[in-house]
Amino acid sequence: MRTLVDQPSARRATDTQQPVVLVESEHSLPLVHVGLVLRTGSVHDPRGAEGLARMTARMLRMGTRGLTAQQVEEKIDSLGAQLSVGCAPSYVQLSGVVVEHNLEAFFQLLSELVVAPAFRARDLARAKRETVAELVGVVDDDRSLAARHFRSFALGKHPYARAVAGTTRSVRTLTRRAVLAHYEKHFVSSNVIVSMAGAVHAERAQELVARYLTLPRGRAPKQDAPETSLAKGRRLILVDKPERTQTQLIVGTLGTHALDPDHTALQVANVVFGGLFTARLTHEIRSVRGLSYGASSSLGHDRRRELWTMWTFPAAKDAFKCLQLQLQLYEDWVQNGVLPGELKRAKSFLVKSHAFEIDTAQKRLDQRVEAELFGLPHDYFDGFVSRVKRVTKEDANAALKNRLSLRDLVIGVVATASELEPQLKQLPNLRELRVVPFDRV
Amino acid sequence: MLAEFPFGEGGQIVTRYTLGNGLTLLLLVDRKAPVLSYHTWYRVGSKHEKPGKTGLAHLFEHLMFNETKHVPRGQLDRLIESAGGETNAATWVDWTHYQSELPASELPLIARLEADRMQNLVLRKPQVESEKEVVANERRFRVDDDIEGQVSELLYSTAFKRHPYRWPTIGWMDDIQAFTPEDCAHFYRTYYAPNNATLVVVGDVDEEEVLQLVQRHYGKIPAARLPRFTPGTEPPQRSERSLELRRPTPAAKLALAYRGPSFRDRDFPALALASEVLFGGRSSRVFARMVREEELATDLHGSLAPFADAGLYEIWVSLRPGQKLPAALRMLDQEFARLCKHGVTEAELLKVKNRMELGFLQGMETAAGKAEQLGFFEIVYGDASALFERLKALRAITPSDVKRVANKYFDARRRTRIAVLPQNGAAA
Repeated sequence: MRTLVDQPSARRATDTQQPVVLVESEHSLPLVHVGLVLRTGSVHDPRGAEGLARMTARMLRMGTRGLTAQQVEEKIDSLGAQLSVGCAPSYVQLSGVVVEHNLEAFFQLLSELVVAPAFRARDLARAKRETVAELVGVVDDDRSLAARHFRSFALGKHPYARAVAGTTRSVRTLTRRAVLAHYEKHFVSSNVIVSMAGAVHAERAQELVARYLTLPRGRAPKQDAPETSLAKGRRLILVDKPERTQTQLIVGTLGTHALDPDHTALQVANVVFGGLFTARLTHEIRSVRGLSYGASSSLGHDRRRELWTMWTFPAAKDAFKCLQLQLQLYEDWVQNGVLPGELKRAKSFLVKSHAFEIDTAQKRLDQRVEAELFGLPHDYFDGFVSRVKRVTKEDANAALKNRLSLRDLVIGVVATASELEPQLKQLPNLRELRVVPFDRV
Repeated sequence: MLAEFPFGEGGQIVTRYTLGNGLTLLLLVDRKAPVLSYHTWYRVGSKHEKPGKTGLAHLFEHLMFNETKHVPRGQLDRLIESAGGETNAATWVDWTHYQSELPASELPLIARLEADRMQNLVLRKPQVESEKEVVANERRFRVDDDIEGQVSELLYSTAFKRHPYRWPTIGWMDDIQAFTPEDCAHFYRTYYAPNNATLVVVGDVDEEEVLQLVQRHYGKIPAARLPRFTPGTEPPQRSERSLELRRPTPAAKLALAYRGPSFRDRDFPALALASEVLFGGRSSRVFARMVREEELATDLHGSLAPFADAGLYEIWVSLRPGQKLPAALRMLDQEFARLCKHGVTEAELLKVKNRMELGFLQGMETAAGKAEQLGFFEIVYGDASALFERLKALRAITPSDVKRVANKYFDARRRTRIAVLPQNGAAA
């Protein structure tokens, strides 16, 4: 093992060709959470083959050289386990939980999925049909539809703009050869982070990894996504869907990277704006005016600088009014900053609520996995509270001014265009308004 | 009054206390993390409403975050957030549930705030009007612009003719928009009383301190005279009820609902296992056949409503674009018939028991999870200690139990069916 962490001490070995193994022991319940994270994701999808990393991950549970897809599923359920396989821009994750006495059998199965996938042609054809059907089904969910179009429109040609699942067209073109090539390049032992939390000791985890996770040694390609950027000006994409009584609204711009010196200051400032129920955005939109059931803002994070976004979903009749108010609140926040009382409350919340970030072994472990995956110092999350305590009003306001753009802003809307488009055209400083049909995925 | 029962197999003890005014307290000292879950369950949900006043229990849940005689508007959230806590609430047919998660040191704060809003809420017109708008927006989000939400509402309003389960917890839009502060005040006086509530406290707390605080803050709140709940007797259903909708969707959907037992009924665990055999996980019979083998559906699930009175067993199937509803219905009918005729194997039963046990354990990982399970069983089942009896009951179920309940409940003559077709009609 390269790294072995069993709270509170950390031990490191020297072989960089082996998986990183992270463990958080807690024996109050007979459960173990198990994760395998690979440093590969949609950023590695070649142009025109969007969805390749996700398809490769999906194929893992569709059968091994010794098991059919149905046998894999039977085994998971019979062991009293759950497994999910996910893909993001920067990683693929197999995430499971199992009753303690079946840990070895479950880890053996997980390892078999990763080490010996069959990638049968007929299973790939089936997985492609399933994926296409799911993509078409996305149009039923307005929030997913909004997120998908907003991200693609905001980030343009950057790899983070790609739809992780691909498009109906790109998925249809994926071949077995491409899947195999992606697998062989990325599924090597040095590219894996193994995590176990719960009723397991570090030595046991280490033993299981050594026995079953026999991936080839080697180095996977580095994640070389360029820095993110936004096109100039205020731009809006309107996803036209009939019969909408409610409008999905996302407004965003670039945020910070976790290692930026002003990242924590921006996190605190964001809590003031849209991170709490009493935050400015929620208060003005929901509590005072009842315009939207939900109103919040958040700061994304990944290996590169991610987006800061705010979300609301007002009634169609109120959509334009709500958007105008959001933009006004945003401008006021960025230009005039936060008030001392707001800052004090936000810091108090972040410091005191930290207990809920670490109250289970799984949450503590997730932080360590994230630090490892995103190249953060291993004690990055341990220092969160002291970093928050140090943030001053001047820090928060400088982060707002320096990081959040008033000019380069992207707006995503799902609504019935015939009802809202004429109003949206009245937005000041709008450089582009693009209308797309809801059923084009 | 005091009763104790062991909490699972980890040596923890839940203690039940009842104050003189009828307030029940369930206390579980759990020192795993320096946090606290403070949950308040009221035995009032949408089934206690009247036609024309639907959605009042849920609107009221929202209003409980407004001002009281001692705490100005917005201050409750501010105090809890400044203390590092989060607070939320939920309403369903049988209950309303307020939950706060805080650092353990904040017990005095939350006990004071919860007791205060049990007796001192102030209901003013501007707040009621604003909250009605929020709820109307919530309804648009969950129902009006969501096909599954629309269908679920229609399923209940078609399946039930007399029982109040026929209207949605969020309420009909016209009713939501017509509520007055007086409606809300009457509801508050009627149902928000200590003898209609259970507190559940789980976390790193001192038992003596909890008891002192609860006695100090709640002890003097008078009990209320609670109305008797008398749902109408549901007339027997003798034939399938069926409806069809057209919506802007690329693929057809199908919802079915059989009559189900109450959560308190001894058939409930066996029927829940039968549902797992059919729909639980990717190895389940229906998923394997309809999603993987026949490629007929993209998503499906079955769920047995955990209601205090007899509810529904619901099935939802999203078809793949271009697939036809009659084929999906035929396949579902075949799987229900197969279960009724041949039952389940021991291995199949063991598999679904393992899955359900895993779900149970996962619900116990946090203080909040424990508090929620305890409160739910106390309110819906009538006894929190039944939580562990339920696990034992699940373990004891045999294949013949599953076959018996399948034959008893999977009767197509007592079924409700809603079909959703794409507006262009392609998948019909």
